[in-house]
Amino acid sequence: MATTTGGGTNTVITDASRGQRLRRLQALQILVLLAVTMTVFGIARPDTFLTVFNIRGIVQNTSIYAVLGVGMTFVIITGGIDLSIGSVLVFSGVVAAKTMDAMGGQGWGTALAGAAVACCCGLGWGLFNGFMIAKAKVPALVVTLGTLSAALGFAQIITKGLDLRSAPQVLVSKVGFGNVVWQIPTLSVIAAVVVVVGIVLLHRTRFGLYTYAVGSNAEAGRRVGLDVDLHLIKVYALAGLLAGFAGILNLAFFQSTTIGGQSNTPLNVIAGVAIGGTSLFGGVGSVFGTVVGLFIPIVLQNGFVQTNVQPFWQQVVVGAVLIAVVYVDQKRRTAAQRGKSPRFSFLKGRTR
Amino acid sequence: MNRKIVFRAAVASLLLTVTAACGSGSSGSSSSASGKAYKIAFIQGVSGDAFYITMQCGVQAEAKAEGVTVTTQGPQKFDPTLQTPILQSVIASKPDAILIAPTDVSSMQQPIAQAKANGIKVVLVDTTVSDPSVAVSAIASDNSGGGKAAFDAVKKLAPQGGKVLVVGVQPGISTTDARDKGFADAAKADPAFTYLGVQYSQNDPAKAASIVSAALQKDPDIVGIFASNLFSAEGTATGVRQAGKQNKVKIIGFDAGPDQVRALKDGTVQALIAQQPATIGSDGIQQAVKALKGESTTASIKTGFTIVTKANLNSAAGKAAVYKAGC
Repeated sequence: MATTTGGGTNTVITDASRGQRLRRLQALQILVLLAVTMTVFGIARPDTFLTVFNIRGIVQNTSIYAVLGVGMTFVIITGGIDLSIGSVLVFSGVVAAKTMDAMGGQGWGTALAGAAVACCCGLGWGLFNGFMIAKAKVPALVVTLGTLSAALGFAQIITKGLDLRSAPQVLVSKVGFGNVVWQIPTLSVIAAVVVVVGIVLLHRTRFGLYTYAVGSNAEAGRRVGLDVDLHLIKVYALAGLLAGFAGILNLAFFQSTTIGGQSNTPLNVIAGVAIGGTSLFGGVGSVFGTVVGLFIPIVLQNGFVQTNVQPFWQQVVVGAVLIAVVYVDQKRRTAAQRGKSPRFSFLKGRTR
Repeated sequence: MNRKIVFRAAVASLLLTVTAACGSGSSGSSSSASGKAYKIAFIQGVSGDAFYITMQCGVQAEAKAEGVTVTTQGPQKFDPTLQTPILQSVIASKPDAILIAPTDVSSMQQPIAQAKANGIKVVLVDTTVSDPSVAVSAIASDNSGGGKAAFDAVKKLAPQGGKVLVVGVQPGISTTDARDKGFADAAKADPAFTYLGVQYSQNDPAKAASIVSAALQKDPDIVGIFASNLFSAEGTATGVRQAGKQNKVKIIGFDAGPDQVRALKDGTVQALIAQQPATIGSDGIQQAVKALKGESTTASIKTGFTIVTKANLNSAAGKAAVYKAGC
């Protein structure tokens, strides 16, 4: 038993470093892909695509997705999935809007209270997801499919299906559409802070290490004394918290709780996470890759609108990119596992 | 090394798709010799919908007559979260004017104000925003009048009176809100009818169907249902068919897309209140061009309706009122 435990510790640590090296490669490739796409559109529409206004718009439109993507990356690295984030976003936005409405006032006090309420709502749903998955052992897909439906249902019960529009003025003008300095949108700065915190949390802390450990080999983690269940609850709670936070940002940006508009959000975010090199099997991934992965669909849509391409093409191309990227990833992994590629010898003898 | 090849192939195929897509999309933009060739962008409320396609036909025909270039874009759902990024991309492409059907009265206000701030003339078509002064002109059907016309149609089809229901889209859309209100006001004013209120389908035919079948369970004696938009009407027809009440419940649909017309022919829907989207589109282009030339514009234009029934469907007026699936 003692030897097994020692081996387990080893696995956990090397898996994490393997993961980090692997994700750097993948993230780099995606970054190249993004750069190539932007160059193509830049050449096609030199006077309009690479303008400050346009880049600002692209960054702004990616911001809310990025906040959601951070949480989703953690969840997927553990080998799980969270389909509920879109509904949790709506629910949190609705409860926050109701709270701010009840408080009245258009100032920062009301806005901050709304943000706190939204985060608490998200955290609550996240804890529920995590508890059902880790302790009640219901598959993540089923639990979050359930909360996807339930959270949206509650939001519609509270509002009678009626979108709320009572965001305080300061929230809309300063956060939703304001700039920190020059042309740098506040919304994006907030998202960038969340992303940086996510990167540090994932790659530089014990919490991140445990996340990789749970995803690459939960049993090994358990044997070295890692409380896998508790960690899973924490990870889903984090995803929920960020979805709640995204709820207040969404309210600031759209001045509406967008009850009908978030049904595809979880799928878009999961696609971004997968394009960014996070393995849906768990154990491998990065927040940076996710952010780059989320930019690709937004850039494509923007570029297609500007080149006057039918909007439906965006979905086709995003689908193709998603499959191609995951295929490349898979190919590399199986090759490495067979020991065929000397460049990836560090992958040899994976203990999965 | 295998990995490298695959990756390059992936990049290459992406590029191919992009260029192929560019090639297929850049057709249909011809500039006339007369006057300055203004660039106008038309943003639909949702793409692939007969109402907006018919409007696009009106826009293109008028643009050709005026000698201006028009490009058309639309979100995949009638939703501000999808329309906002499209509008931003269009603004960045610097057209001279934008014709837009806003998908939310408040969410689209700021993004449209951004267009104005960038020196672009904005014309609101069909729907509007809370402060329409950002636009040089707002062109729409007189929706409240349309709702009233729908109630008149119910009255004609069910003169004995009874319970009436409205199946709406979702609250906050200026046009459908006005239609629902126009119908509600007219229904409440008539003592022979009991107004059961409005139920929202969220623009989902399946949801409209389940709402209507549930409503018919609760009140089997409903005599008329006003479905205030395309998808609601489709779903309402399904719901009534599910309950087996095809002949007892009179359905008044708003709009005259191919599906409604088929429902009208089948006898599932008894009347359609057709808007004039092509007129909205061509008026929109006229106002935009006037604004660009520095002439005075009309702040608000209301277009009318055609009531289409089985009787007048095949007449010239009926045929002209029906929406097109393509120009």
